[in-house]
Amino acid sequence: MKIIDAHTHLPGWSFGSQPRPIRELRREFEEQGLGGAWLFTTDGLVGESVKNNDILAKAVADHRDFFAPFCTVDPLCGAKAALRELDRAKHKLGMRGVKLHPWLQRFSMTNPAMEPIFKHAGKLGLPVLLHDGTPPYASSLQIAALAEKAPQTIIILGHAGLDDQYEDAILACRRHANIYLCLCSNSCGYVEEIIRRCPVQRLLFGSDGGFLPNLIALAIAKLRATDAPATVLRRIFHDNPLSLVPLPEHKLGRQRRQLFHR
Amino acid sequence: MIIDSAVRLRTAGNWAQIKAWLAAWQRLGIGHAIVAPADAQATIANEEGNTQLARLMRRYPKQISGLAVANPWRGTEAVALLEKAFDNGLSGLYLCPPRQGFRLTESIVDPLLKVCHRRRKPVYSHTGTPICSEPLQLAELARRFPEITFIMGHGGYPDFWYDVAPALRQAPNLMLETSCQMAAVIQQALDAVGPDRILFGSGFPRSKPDFEIRKIQTMGLPAKTLTKIMAMNAMRCWGICL
Ligand SMILES: [Zn+2]
Repeated sequence: MKIIDAHTHLPGWSFGSQPRPIRELRREFEEQGLGGAWLFTTDGLVGESVKNNDILAKAVADHRDFFAPFCTVDPLCGAKAALRELDRAKHKLGMRGVKLHPWLQRFSMTNPAMEPIFKHAGKLGLPVLLHDGTPPYASSLQIAALAEKAPQTIIILGHAGLDDQYEDAILACRRHANIYLCLCSNSCGYVEEIIRRCPVQRLLFGSDGGFLPNLIALAIAKLRATDAPATVLRRIFHDNPLSLVPLPEHKLGRQRRQLFHR
Repeated sequence: MIIDSAVRLRTAGNWAQIKAWLAAWQRLGIGHAIVAPADAQATIANEEGNTQLARLMRRYPKQISGLAVANPWRGTEAVALLEKAFDNGLSGLYLCPPRQGFRLTESIVDPLLKVCHRRRKPVYSHTGTPICSEPLQLAELARRFPEITFIMGHGGYPDFWYDVAPALRQAPNLMLETSCQMAAVIQQALDAVGPDRILFGSGFPRSKPDFEIRKIQTMGLPAKTLTKIMAMNAMRCWGICL
């Protein structure tokens, strides 16, 4: 089974980091056990989202079999500009989803641009993954409140509430059929509880890889240290992310796909 | 041999749970663990928690040290509870501000700390939950009580990873407990204050010992540093002689 990581970042200049060649990053991800990764910008979350979408798309151009790039948009520029960028990201850059980080990008979920962004992403078939678990801008239930208004859009809580709000994330996931949880950065015992209480077909594996060294290998080890059976881990590590964002090399069997899209 | 400085009872009074732990600890090379009462005991049933931990310590003196709880809102009653718990042999005070309903910077906790100072007992505090248990809030407390050893539980995880090294630098009597926190942040702490102020913890049941041990072991640390983090620092901090 190839493990697909639904939460990784392209290192940039922000957070004391430095840009790195994509080939090197891919090798590092593969060495830590990945067979594919959803890749988000880092720099684009602190400014210049359009420019950083271009940088990300260009970086992964020759590695589309491994990286699924996610674009970002800046709600502070208004709905019109954000929707235009979503269109461009999908059709011109071939982006596979949207990543938003309310506290780094300094917007509240009640920003008037957010509802149109959620709805438009859904129309374009782009899942939206948001950093969550951090008040006051990125509480799991703040995101869930808006997800409720865009039921056709797949909304992924990018940290399943972190350790302070995982209960909220569980409730959100159970209440709303369009909410998925990315098991990224939750402590091991909490991951167990989330897996026990949430619909398994809406759980994804994530590591924040690329942000700090060695996160991926430890995140994999953490999931394996839970009491979840191998069949469940297979869905979280592999089937679920590929059913949301298929990668060219990893075609799911037809039967399996039908199972998911029922 | 490993000493685990961060275990919490999952539920009150479950001897089957303890037996299962002892077997798991043996398998993982954990020779001794510092155990805190369950959430409900830390919050409300303080005396029940202290009694249970004292009993566990008497039954398994080689494997278990217990921490005492006393909700600071109980005032003089809390002070009496703590004195009694220390009389019964408990090894330190466990604070959980988000459960117990106070901020680390509130003077309401001072009477308990005075007891700890007088009886030379360390104070372990959960950290990482704003607005009541941030690493810098604990550092502030550590500066006010420089003779007490404070342990920063879970290293401010998840959101306060960037405050770990700055907090440690502020107060030499502040130590870091490693559970839940990312390996890179533990490395930052090592770089900032050296290997003598870091204690291994599993964070059980929030995290799991096998994963937490692996996390530290894959950091590529020199053997001497590893021994300090996994056992020596804890022996000194908690006064354990095995
Ligand atoms: Zn992230």
